Amino acid sequence: MIAAHLTKQFGAHIVVNDVSFTLEPHTATALIGPNGAGKTTILSMLTGLLKPTAGTITNNDVQIGFLPQYPQFYPWMTVLEFTEMAARLSGLSTKEARSRAHEALSFVGLEEVLTKKTAALSGGMKQRLGIAQAIVHRPAILLLDEPVSALDPFGRRDMMSLLKKLQQTTTILYSTHILNDAEEMTDQILFLKDGALIEQGTLPSIRARYMDPRFAVTFCEQADAQAFSTQHQVELIEKTVFVPMTSYPTMQHLLSFLSTTYAPIVKIEQHTSSLEEIFMKVMSL
Amino acid sequence: MIILLKKEWLEMLRSYRIVWLPLLFILLGISDPLTNYYMEDILATVGNMPDGFSMTMPELAPSDLLIASLGQFQMIGLLVIVAITASMISRERQNGTATLIYVRPVSNFSIYMSKLIAMALLTLVCTIAGFGASMYYTYLLYGGVSTTAFLLLMLFYWLWLLMVIATTITFSALWTTSIAMTVAIVLFPLGILLDSVIGAYWHYSPYKLALYGASWLTTQSDYLWGTCSIVVAWTIFVSLLGIWATGWKRSTTKI
Amino acid sequence: MDTLNWALIAPLIVIQFVLMIMALIDIKRIHATNGPKWVWILVVIVVNTIGPIVYFIFGRKNV
Repeated sequence: MIAAHLTKQFGAHIVVNDVSFTLEPHTATALIGPNGAGKTTILSMLTGLLKPTAGTITNNDVQIGFLPQYPQFYPWMTVLEFTEMAARLSGLSTKEARSRAHEALSFVGLEEVLTKKTAALSGGMKQRLGIAQAIVHRPAILLLDEPVSALDPFGRRDMMSLLKKLQQTTTILYSTHILNDAEEMTDQILFLKDGALIEQGTLPSIRARYMDPRFAVTFCEQADAQAFSTQHQVELIEKTVFVPMTSYPTMQHLLSFLSTTYAPIVKIEQHTSSLEEIFMKVMSL
Repeated sequence: MIILLKKEWLEMLRSYRIVWLPLLFILLGISDPLTNYYMEDILATVGNMPDGFSMTMPELAPSDLLIASLGQFQMIGLLVIVAITASMISRERQNGTATLIYVRPVSNFSIYMSKLIAMALLTLVCTIAGFGASMYYTYLLYGGVSTTAFLLLMLFYWLWLLMVIATTITFSALWTTSIAMTVAIVLFPLGILLDSVIGAYWHYSPYKLALYGASWLTTQSDYLWGTCSIVVAWTIFVSLLGIWATGWKRSTTKI
Repeated sequence: MDTLNWALIAPLIVIQFVLMIMALIDIKRIHATNGPKWVWILVVIVVNTIGPIVYFIFGRKNV
């Protein structure tokens, strides 16, 4: 699937601005950005629910499976009935729909509640049913809007392992606002901010670009750290100063430099940016 | 389309709509023959009539009672039908249940027609149940009417209901539930009231189709076929508009 | 006519009763209603015919 120069405008407000990317077969892509960055709008355009104001989507007529952030089901339908209907509406025969529905529901672990009404499902179970209805017709592309953000840590772990299994046979694009989710399963990351794509690449390449390795030197006294930071123009957080590794590539270099100061030091360590920090850094570009 | 129709049918069953709406029509159908029959007793119990007061009740023909029942269906029955029809498409968009349907290769025609056909069948059941009950009581208490006239009466009433539901579903496709319901209630239950008050000035009015249909019981109206054509033409037009509106508003489904 | 013919009146009462029972069963089985369930139970029992109808139109929650 290829999206080229996607743009969506509601009135004068530009929600998505000239976004282009390619989803390679059997890869997982994470669409990352703060709330309101336009993630849901992009997914809606890919599903065909929204028409782009400009730009094109090429998907060679393959079937798509879609899981909205808050999937809503008819409360009076049972789990099996709904999944079967979803399969039928995607063009499967009655017989096929039945066997695929059973298959999809046991894949997501709902085989115990086939005849339960959807209204009686818990949040985590609804999310699983959401996955089941999205994969029941075996789509080539799976689009997921914030698949884990509404779940508790256990549900989140279950969902990620389901998605990892699906990744082997399906092309996946999912949105999230938490980079740690993306770390678990991703071949490509798209960073979205105010509707525009501000950075994209594989996780290692992004990490290499933004991890910014430094030495963290912690002094005994706040005053010493303060003085050191003003004298050498380095970042200061409480009693710790951050010395870029570009200026002192090894510990020896750093130690010989530090020996010029006599203020007592308690700790020296190497410091790389966490994913959260990388996220903040990319977003502040 | 058969898949969506099956879904509509299941919803009707599980929400008991297929039972309670016909029951309501039966109640409405029974009430007029029965209250008129016992009118004297009711007046005697409720009103404090002076001794020796006697009132001659007008002699009612069977057709009068069927037409009275028709009046009941046109007020309460129509109001209830409009109220449940006005939310059929808009509610699914507003609560997001439509999203999982709309992302699949489902045509606007199937979405709209599944709703229309489901409601058409339900209103057919209501028409038969309501007039059937009215006829049964009228027959027991007052006497019968010609079978052909009775069947035609039901047919034309159903035709009118078909126009009402097609229009209301189209409103539901065009707007939100609250707007669709308001417009439909003003147009139909209130419109029919207005037509009966000031409608003496025109003959060809969709609102009068049911009454003209009832005219088979007595003397056939000259305006029946003209009015009937207007109703059929409007129903077709409004259905096409509804199918288009269903597609036009697809993107407003809550995600 | 001094005696009511009960065979004529009975269906009326039966239908009203069926509507009420059906509404009560539905309120008990449904996952949630628009507004508190006990209010609807009261409405359905107290307001004859109209109560159950109003419940079926506006009381049932659809999500």
